[in-house]
Amino acid sequence: MTSPEIMVRMGEHAISSKGGAALVSIGLGSCIGLALLDRSRMVFGLAHVMLPAAPPEGPGGTPGKFGDHAVPALLDMMARKGSRRTGLEAVLVGGARMFAIGSSMDIGARNEAAAREALKAARIPVVAAETSGSTGRTIRVLPEEGLVTVKAAGGKPTTLYGG
Amino acid sequence: MSSTFSAMQLDALGELANIGSGTAATALSGMIGQPVDVSVPNAMALPLADAVDAAGPAEQQVTAVALPVLGDLEGIVLMLFAGQSAETLCSILGVEAGTEMGFSALSEIGNIVGASYLGALGTTTGVNIEPGPPQAASDMLGAVVSSILAASAETADIALLLDSNLIIEGTDAQVSFLLVPSTKSVNDLLQRLGIS
Repeated sequence: MTSPEIMVRMGEHAISSKGGAALVSIGLGSCIGLALLDRSRMVFGLAHVMLPAAPPEGPGGTPGKFGDHAVPALLDMMARKGSRRTGLEAVLVGGARMFAIGSSMDIGARNEAAAREALKAARIPVVAAETSGSTGRTIRVLPEEGLVTVKAAGGKPTTLYGG
Repeated sequence: MSSTFSAMQLDALGELANIGSGTAATALSGMIGQPVDVSVPNAMALPLADAVDAAGPAEQQVTAVALPVLGDLEGIVLMLFAGQSAETLCSILGVEAGTEMGFSALSEIGNIVGASYLGALGTTTGVNIEPGPPQAASDMLGAVVSSILAASAETADIALLLDSNLIIEGTDAQVSFLLVPSTKSVNDLLQRLGIS
């Protein structure tokens, strides 16, 4: 059985709810897959964060691209699907250091720090994370079961949170 | 600063990639003792997410060698050896794919072939281009390409990719080349070529 999937590509963000499609970001390297879960109302969001912070002129049309804008953007979309701010949980996947080129290259760690800071500001706890290291990963948010799975390069999917 | 390119500018950049990959093909051929063909290069200016898709299936396992580009042109050259191609190349070199030896052989090919590609670009344009120390990784294609784009595109919304393939004659093995210059570098380069 293959259920429908929404591909959340680099810089994008999307939501789903019970009965809806799975949210998937394939091949997270230094990017962060930032999942927000409202498991009591079964509304879920995923942002594919590429950079820690937006440029001074703002995030443009892609708030999901930036660690400092992704959380409010997801909260907005989820609220329109009936989600509330209480009981929200966050899961982080990615933020690897694929190549050790130059000092500015550890974008993965900076992405993770920015995501954690934004979540802290929104008072949303990080309930599970598989981050850093040097391996690419794929995240799936399955709205039917309220599960988050992670799959490392060359590995099998494992449940990271929920169920 | 413009981050969109005219058809004429893309043609000129494609021609540069063509010269670079021709030289790279000669270097690769010398290393493996077999003739190597070059595909027609593509110069593409794409939104970032589309640029990742253009490189190939995101979950495909690849061996990747990244060469930082330093000097007057800044960016990264990425060479990709996809599954079967990595195996074919390793067997030509008499090492086993997926082992430490195989990984190190592919890294060395990437280093030499990438440096000759950059050398040709420098000679043709008259700009000072130096390859930095190479880094190799074996991972998902999407993870590799998105990390490179995040590092070199920074806050730009459009990535410029110069994409070409070296095909080892008589096999289906190929090496994909991606040059991802920083946006500022490209504008400087186009200015130098008189088509800014």
